[in-house]
Amino acid sequence: MATVHEKLITAVAGAAAEGPRNKVTIVGVGQVGMACAVSILLRELADEMALVDVMEDKLKGEMMDLLHGSLFLKTPKIVADKDYAVTANSRIVVVTAGVRQQEGESRLNLVQRNVNIFKHIIPQIVKYSPNCILIVVSNPVDILTYVTWKLSGLPKHRVIGSGCNLDSARFRYLMAEKLGIHASSFQGWILGEHGDSSVPVWSGANVAVVNLQKLNPDIGTDKDQENWKDTHKMVVDSAYEVIRLKGYTNWAIGLSVADLTESLVKNLSRIHPVSTMVKFKVSPSLSVGLQGMYGINDEVYLSLPCILNNTGVNSVVNMTLTDEEVAKLKKSAETLWGIQKDLKDL
Amino acid sequence: MATVRDRLLQEVNPGKAVEASAKVTIVGVGQVGMACATSILQSNVADCVVLIDVMKDKLKGEVMDLQHGSLFLKTARIVAAKDYSETANSKLCIITAGVRQKEGESRLALVQRNVDVFKHIIPDLAKYSPDAIILVVSNPETPCANQKSRNTVTPVELSGADGTISPPPVTVAVDILTYVAWKLSGFPSHRVIGSGTNLDSARFRFLMGEKLRINPSSVHGYIVGEHGDSSVPVWSGANVAGVSLQSVNPELETDEDTEGWKGIHKQVVDSAYEVIRLKGYTSWAIGLSVANLAHSILKNLRTVNPISTLVKDIHGIKEDVFLSLPCILGSSGVCGVMKQPLKATETKLLQHSADTLWNVQKDLKL
Repeated sequence: MATVHEKLITAVAGAAAEGPRNKVTIVGVGQVGMACAVSILLRELADEMALVDVMEDKLKGEMMDLLHGSLFLKTPKIVADKDYAVTANSRIVVVTAGVRQQEGESRLNLVQRNVNIFKHIIPQIVKYSPNCILIVVSNPVDILTYVTWKLSGLPKHRVIGSGCNLDSARFRYLMAEKLGIHASSFQGWILGEHGDSSVPVWSGANVAVVNLQKLNPDIGTDKDQENWKDTHKMVVDSAYEVIRLKGYTNWAIGLSVADLTESLVKNLSRIHPVSTMVKFKVSPSLSVGLQGMYGINDEVYLSLPCILNNTGVNSVVNMTLTDEEVAKLKKSAETLWGIQKDLKDL
Repeated sequence: MATVRDRLLQEVNPGKAVEASAKVTIVGVGQVGMACATSILQSNVADCVVLIDVMKDKLKGEVMDLQHGSLFLKTARIVAAKDYSETANSKLCIITAGVRQKEGESRLALVQRNVDVFKHIIPDLAKYSPDAIILVVSNPETPCANQKSRNTVTPVELSGADGTISPPPVTVAVDILTYVAWKLSGFPSHRVIGSGTNLDSARFRFLMGEKLRINPSSVHGYIVGEHGDSSVPVWSGANVAGVSLQSVNPELETDEDTEGWKGIHKQVVDSAYEVIRLKGYTSWAIGLSVANLAHSILKNLRTVNPISTLVKDIHGIKEDVFLSLPCILGSSGVCGVMKQPLKATETKLLQHSADTLWNVQKDLKL
């Protein structure tokens, strides 16, 4: 007997379903992963979304909760499984999985524990989506982006760390609040290592191309009577503060990852401060000789202004930095390499 | 010495900005409240979102986290209210606060405790935003103790969590709390609504859509009445492009139907329990459905949504109870209720729900 479907619908011959063109996978369905998922769904960036995690019930519950909202979304397929086969043919893969620092744990130990987890995750991702662009969010993000790059075997322009994208967003919000304008109208960049040693590029901070440092040459220094430097400190302290108050951060990082995803999926060529490999070939025709930006010769990932399009990191802007700012980047590079060189099994 | 700001800007019209024209207050920053907040913020319908909660640190942390995303949003102000005065002149107040069942607590006792929580919320909201619409979402449920999963976040445990099947969890229907909010606010009934079966209907349309391989927005159907186990799927109305599913399959809502359409309603009812069992709570779907209602209200869209409204004198109901029916929703609240033709059996279910709700409501100390 004919089903409702058969009686209701005349099938159109040859109308086979196409595969997804903008599939986004989120690895890890904790608070950060789900905030990324929801923000990407709300912006209608994906035509398919896949969720992966090891906690099967939590994973299924989160998938169901999103599916129940399908009426209000424009992403027709949302799938989830602990098996990475479900992630096949993704354009973008966002990695939020990993363990948190235990009290008193050294960074090296934390990194090694996360390396061991990434060893299971990254090869699987690449196996099923060899053409994807990876966005690493898990912390310490610069090191883990390097780890991901090594484990994936992907070209470096397709492995991006969320890096200082969020730091810069927080910076722009806090600076803009002080000036009484919207964050998007304040131009300012935080680069380098995500976290305590990030570098606010005071020399570039401007509103309507009016350079703030020209208005106040002491800006960002200890001499500054208005103490603008404090705003950078607030950015660095932000994460700790929010964690202290609510246990974790998720909304802001979710929004910032969706913003990166938008540039990649829509081929926008917008510039974002994201973590990228600072060492690259001098020119395609030369097969020898790697040059590091700002004289950094270690293979490290640091946040620099990157032009993001549908191939990944298309180019990096040569930001003019003061000697002091370059010195800070170099110091970060040394610290990162100091940890990376001792990592086992990469 | 002139500050950077002084040198940067020439003031043209200094002083406080004009009051927000699309202000939304969300009471409660738990998983549901925050899901509502993020959906509303990312849909760009409000120019000011105020969050309020008794847990001050959590509130401050959540608002900071949202504010840090301001670069990516188009909602000018996100506020952590220190007290209800900061919620003044809201167009829409969304209530997600509530308390869950304690071990062995009766339904009436649970409702009364929620009434007591609402007594601290509703009068203040009403005082500061006398023209607002109040949307009640709170539906305090206890997670199902059946087959407690091994690897979820630990939900509140009922007695009998040794794997034995406990009696069905006691829920306080959002419909009762909407009644409570109406009474405590003193507002006209068209300005107090409950999320009711809005989400149930969304789930219903999603599940039917899956079965037909059609987008949920193109499959129409309403679940009305009391939110929860006793909700009523109006099968006679289910249609795609105006083609009634029941006309195509007259056995649609019976047990004889071989395709199992009737089971879809049961799946909807069980959905919440299932998601709670798996992840500890539900958040995303309700957040999205609330943002959809907020959109209609703030933009005066006059869309039709199944939401909980005062149904006295409709479908033969005599009591002051709130049940979900398809309502026209706009900036003044419920502008009209659809005269949906129901079968005798369906009407009886609604009347039975009304009696059940009234039996609880009549003993409440408001």
